[in-house]
Amino acid sequence: MIQFTNVSKKYENGTHALKDINLTIEKGEFVFVVGSSGAGKSTFLKLMMREEVPSSGTIVVDDIDLTKIKKRDIPKFRRRLGIVFQDFRLIPNMTVFDNVAFAMRVIGTKEKKIRRRVPYVLSLMGLNEKARNYPQELSGGEQQRVALARALANNAEIIIADEPTGNVDPQMSYEIVDLLMRLNEAGTTVIMVTHEHSLVRCFDKRVIILDKGSVVSDGGSLIREAATSHINAASEISNEYVVPPEEDYSAYAQEQTAPQDEEIVIEIKEDFSVTGGEN
Amino acid sequence: MGNIRYLTKEGFRNLKVNRLMSVASVTVLFSCLMLIGIAFMILVNIEAFITGIESENVIMVYANQDLDKLDYDYIKLGNDLRSLDNIASVESIDKDSAYQEILADMDDGLKNYLSGLDENPLPNAYRVTVSDMAGFDGVVNEIKKLSGIQRVYENSTLARQLEQVRDSVTYISFGIILLLFVVSLFIISNTVKVTMFSRRLEISIMKSVGATNSFIRWPFMVEGIIIGIIAGLLATAAVWGVYEFALGSFSAVLSGLGGEVRVSFLDYAPYLVAVFVGIGIFTGVFGSATSIRKYLKERKFVELED
Repeated sequence: MIQFTNVSKKYENGTHALKDINLTIEKGEFVFVVGSSGAGKSTFLKLMMREEVPSSGTIVVDDIDLTKIKKRDIPKFRRRLGIVFQDFRLIPNMTVFDNVAFAMRVIGTKEKKIRRRVPYVLSLMGLNEKARNYPQELSGGEQQRVALARALANNAEIIIADEPTGNVDPQMSYEIVDLLMRLNEAGTTVIMVTHEHSLVRCFDKRVIILDKGSVVSDGGSLIREAATSHINAASEISNEYVVPPEEDYSAYAQEQTAPQDEEIVIEIKEDFSVTGGEN
Repeated sequence: MGNIRYLTKEGFRNLKVNRLMSVASVTVLFSCLMLIGIAFMILVNIEAFITGIESENVIMVYANQDLDKLDYDYIKLGNDLRSLDNIASVESIDKDSAYQEILADMDDGLKNYLSGLDENPLPNAYRVTVSDMAGFDGVVNEIKKLSGIQRVYENSTLARQLEQVRDSVTYISFGIILLLFVVSLFIISNTVKVTMFSRRLEISIMKSVGATNSFIRWPFMVEGIIIGIIAGLLATAAVWGVYEFALGSFSAVLSGLGGEVRVSFLDYAPYLVAVFVGIGIFTGVFGSATSIRKYLKERKFVELED
């Protein structure tokens, strides 16, 4: 369980990145975090990984209070997280196998265990054939799957994916999220930060919308649809994952309580048929 | 432990991956250590040279002519000399044996003539050496106050000059050695910093999967230590070569100046090796530790500029 209580973060340069965030992410939940750039998404992630400490408020991950954790306990805490980055962060002069093994080696895992575990996580990601390849020989989607395998290597309880589809073509993006879903079904908590709303709409999961450092919406698919429909009109028409330009969610706060448009409801149905059923 | 093996292997890999940088820093560190070694050998030689001259720089205390070596006054003079501060040794010189010594150096004619005389013109004397040359003048003045002395013979100007030379040589050498030592530290820490920068991707991944800082640091330290040891051994060999060469070309000049002062390199080689490898390891550990600490502190793993 991840619990943010009255969390605010103000950087030294005066940026007020997050304002009074209160939210709880249950164990085994799948959460999308969306918002335009500057909305506080990356600060949100950094706080969760204990890269930054909040200016005020508390963050508790399982039983650990991240505002009170000792410096030397941070590495141990991070081993419970699996972090996936937008730019994959694969080491170019290491094979796929070694890239995944690297994450285990650097926390002191025995070679014997590594030899058993790495093929397993690679097979989960459908990468068995690519174990001896180098990252640059793989497509973007495959590279991100390697990164995902690496995040899984140490049995992470929480997967934190920071724009995992940002450098992946639309078809593959869908696959990546699908893989995350499957991990989630197996019990892993997944937090995925993205700004690709069309992608978010394909999956019926909780969506937290951040805008200017505040949570403007936190809820299920209907509310999410209302928030994103007007923005993604263009991508709807062309039926492609078009990344919208800078978005403005400020109007959303009022819209939230307004009755939903009929047209939108139909769209949702279409989307659900894609994912193959709801709930 | 498997971990240590893995980490040490990583350190060697660092060296190989950054071959050019490693060679560069070994070279620069090697030059520094070599200069330290040469400065040190010059210091040792000057020290030996001065000590050689100083050992001849004694104070001769001639007792009154009428004092026999068994006279109470003569023995008291010896005891008084021994009780002075800053005295290394007091040696009684018997006037007869001293006379024989002088005669032995003379040519036969003169020797025969002088030995024909019954009288020994020399007084009994004490040969006094001081332990600290800085207090040489003081000792001479103290001696002059004692009774039963005919004459005090010393050469204080030379002693003082040598003392000055020795002091300044020591200070300058230590200054140079210290300076070079600091330079060595910078070189190693810089190499490690460059290595870390070139491996920032790996470091960011290591941090994100929860590797401890010490685990991240170890390979870089190994790298610094290896650079230090290689440079240290090379420098010792180089100083040896340079020293033997210099000894060969300058020994003629040196022996003309102050007798046979020969300092063998091999007498000092173990110290040099120990100090060099020590400096290498110290700068390796310290240079890398400081740069790593700074690096790990400043760099967050989320942002990664290219």
